Amino acid sequence: MVSIEDLAQLARDWPEYLRKSKKNGKKIIGYTGSFIPEEMIVAAGAVPHLICRGGESEAVEATLPYMLRFISPYSMAQIGYHLLGLDPILPMLDLIIAQCDSCHMARLADLFEYFNLPTFRLGVPSDWEKSISREYYYRGLARLRTKLEEITGNRITNTGLLKATDSSNSLREVLHLISLLRKRARPPLGGFDFIRLNHFSFMSETAVAITNLRRLYEDYQNKKTPFPGDAPRLILAGHVVAMGDYIVLKIIEDAGGIIVNEFLDEGIRHHCWNLPAAGDMGHLINELGERYYLQRTPPSIFQPAWEARTEYLKSLIREYHAEGVIWYQLCFEEIYDMECSIVSKAMDELQIPFLRIESSYEFSREAMAPLSTRVESFIESIKIKTRNLKW
Amino acid sequence: MVKDIYQEFLRLTGFEDFEISAYLSAWRMASEMLGLTKDDITYATEERIPQYFDTTLVGVKKLLCCYIKEIIDLTKANEYKQKGIKIIYGILPALSVYYYALKMAAPDKVYVSFPDIFLTQVLNGLFHKLSPYLEESEKAGVPYGCRHCALNKTRYAARRLGIIPSPDVSWIWGLVCDEGPKTDEFIRYYFDPEWKTYVTRIPHDQTLGTVEDEVEERVQYLADQMRDGFEAVQKEIGIKVTPDQMNETIAVWSRYSTKIGELNRLMTSEIQPISGLPSAMYGEALSRPWNLGIQPIEEALDLMLEEVKQRVANKEGILPARSPKAMVNVMPIAVPWISKMFEQNGVGLAFTIMRALTKKQMAPSRFKDPYMAMAETWLKRTTSVNPGYSAQIICEQMATYGIDGLIFGFFDFDRWVGSDNKLLAKLVEAKTHKPTFHIEGDLWDDRDYNQEALRTRIESICEILKMRRSAG
Repeated sequence: MVSIEDLAQLARDWPEYLRKSKKNGKKIIGYTGSFIPEEMIVAAGAVPHLICRGGESEAVEATLPYMLRFISPYSMAQIGYHLLGLDPILPMLDLIIAQCDSCHMARLADLFEYFNLPTFRLGVPSDWEKSISREYYYRGLARLRTKLEEITGNRITNTGLLKATDSSNSLREVLHLISLLRKRARPPLGGFDFIRLNHFSFMSETAVAITNLRRLYEDYQNKKTPFPGDAPRLILAGHVVAMGDYIVLKIIEDAGGIIVNEFLDEGIRHHCWNLPAAGDMGHLINELGERYYLQRTPPSIFQPAWEARTEYLKSLIREYHAEGVIWYQLCFEEIYDMECSIVSKAMDELQIPFLRIESSYEFSREAMAPLSTRVESFIESIKIKTRNLKW
Repeated sequence: MVKDIYQEFLRLTGFEDFEISAYLSAWRMASEMLGLTKDDITYATEERIPQYFDTTLVGVKKLLCCYIKEIIDLTKANEYKQKGIKIIYGILPALSVYYYALKMAAPDKVYVSFPDIFLTQVLNGLFHKLSPYLEESEKAGVPYGCRHCALNKTRYAARRLGIIPSPDVSWIWGLVCDEGPKTDEFIRYYFDPEWKTYVTRIPHDQTLGTVEDEVEERVQYLADQMRDGFEAVQKEIGIKVTPDQMNETIAVWSRYSTKIGELNRLMTSEIQPISGLPSAMYGEALSRPWNLGIQPIEEALDLMLEEVKQRVANKEGILPARSPKAMVNVMPIAVPWISKMFEQNGVGLAFTIMRALTKKQMAPSRFKDPYMAMAETWLKRTTSVNPGYSAQIICEQMATYGIDGLIFGFFDFDRWVGSDNKLLAKLVEAKTHKPTFHIEGDLWDDRDYNQEALRTRIESICEILKMRRSAG
């Protein structure tokens, strides 16, 4: 028997695990986004660490002497904790692989470098339908391979990479199985737990995470739902729920809703697709790139993206019998702000209730009360709508 | 005789008598289409333009004349489209040469414009009346609170209001920000399915301090992107630009650029001869295409240069000798009171980072291929590159032009150009020991703040600059 709390404890012990690994000669490699294949890091014999903290406004404010106020709080938080001396991991990283897909993330890379943190930038062109852009990303991965080999002193071999992708596929598969349980009429878990589980999968050894998640999956199969029978089924969409930024999720489910799926670009292990399981090295890196770059639903920053993304969201609504969509947006993220209008319009057309929540990671008492009220009213309105339909 | 304010306006903005009769009716129609009332024209004629523009200078009047002719022309874009003329848009910042080349290749078959910037600078700069456009956008999917770019909002609103038609192609550049190109996707998906776009982008993935124009692979990638874009646009509209036409366009563009360099050199005189505002407005012919061509504005620039030379020779200018000169990122043309307020406090906003070119920026390209040359040019520009290299360029500009201080900011809405300003200020100040400042604000849209709100800040900045200047 394993509980979420056991995985949470492993996550809490993660800095200590990294410290010990480093002491034992392992290199610790941080990375900032979902276009960076952590399999390459593992294949190089290093320990990957996803840099993805958030949920506290102090970390954002700490960056203000260096950066514009109107930059994403998520991006700024990734260095803000370090500036406050509250990040035990960032200073021990041997390398940070900084995903440069948007201005916000590129500016984060600027700050990493300004504060002398060892940084490698991976450019992710957003005009993804062009072959020159794809090739650019693949070349970036080839350079990353060289850099990782240089830092770790280990060669990334075909066997090593295949082994890493195999583990990573297993992790994705078990997460996917757990996520699918939410298709049930009475799901054994909601989004608050699933997103945390997903986050915890980044904060323990892969083999340990796979074992624990498989056990948890077995347990969930026979577990009763903790949600009331009339709980509205919701999809949470937006950019990112950072590690530690759980207040909104908790409010939603405490108010009587269930998050039956999420549609997020970052801060989550995407589990709906797998990585190549065979091939020679040159081919494998390109294949890896192709999966990371092309296989997923295009993130909002890609162009074009919004038509495909809206269609994908509609398919999630159908598959998971969702009754409402909550758009979770971080303030000053201009691309998601525009996308929100598009999604809102599409939901209007489908007559799916839609709620937009914007956060600056400011969860003071004054901010919480109106937020809770909005969420409660939204959930209540869905319940009323459903009841009326049944009558 | 009753005064015709429309006629007065044209006279004030440098139209000759014979032009006034030719343009009067078109100007009335254009201003109506743009949402300008008679009161707005009166305000511009009697208050705003006299307050912020030195119309005793022929060069200033002729400059305004070019802007007004271009905006009148912009209001005819729907008509052009109906006649089968191909409509091509773009956004700032971009390489205007490609658009000029298309115009040169087929002057009667192509309409080129970056409509948002013309609308913003003319409507807010001369009439202080951009708000209806911004509000139109804000009520239709581009909310106020997120600090979206006024240019993007204006482009979207102009389409919504029917001022501009759907383009045959909007060749949109995301070499700097993400929002510009994504706004086009927004317009297409949210409002106008006919809004056709081609996007050219490059990731911001260079390490701090990388001299980007010397990284062959980066120059090559950008050149490939530009080639790809230019070929796609030509194919879309069925017009082919020959290498000779391209070379001729580059030659005209370079000649104009040299003249802007000369104007900048004159601005370094001990007595600043003119306000930085018209100087920056002349520079705008390099930043975006003018459908009416670069020639009329070049003729106006020649007149301006003569007048400025005369002022320098006469030791005349807008401020006392040895007054401090500051540089801004981009001149707030649409909010002209900012530069005026600096001048009133004894400091000239004489230069812009975009246009005060360094020796390296003015040097001929090491590449013969026009795409490689253009890509190289682009990667020498501060706004496009990493802050480390950008700071290095700015330090050289400050030394070259004898600049006393730097004013960053007014770019709250731009997650690229505006976002690194505080970092840049630290990097530049550490190297030059010259004072640098950052002012939160928006150089297109001044609805959020007024003159009084900024006055104290500007006054104290000017005091510091004057003290530092007098201390030598």
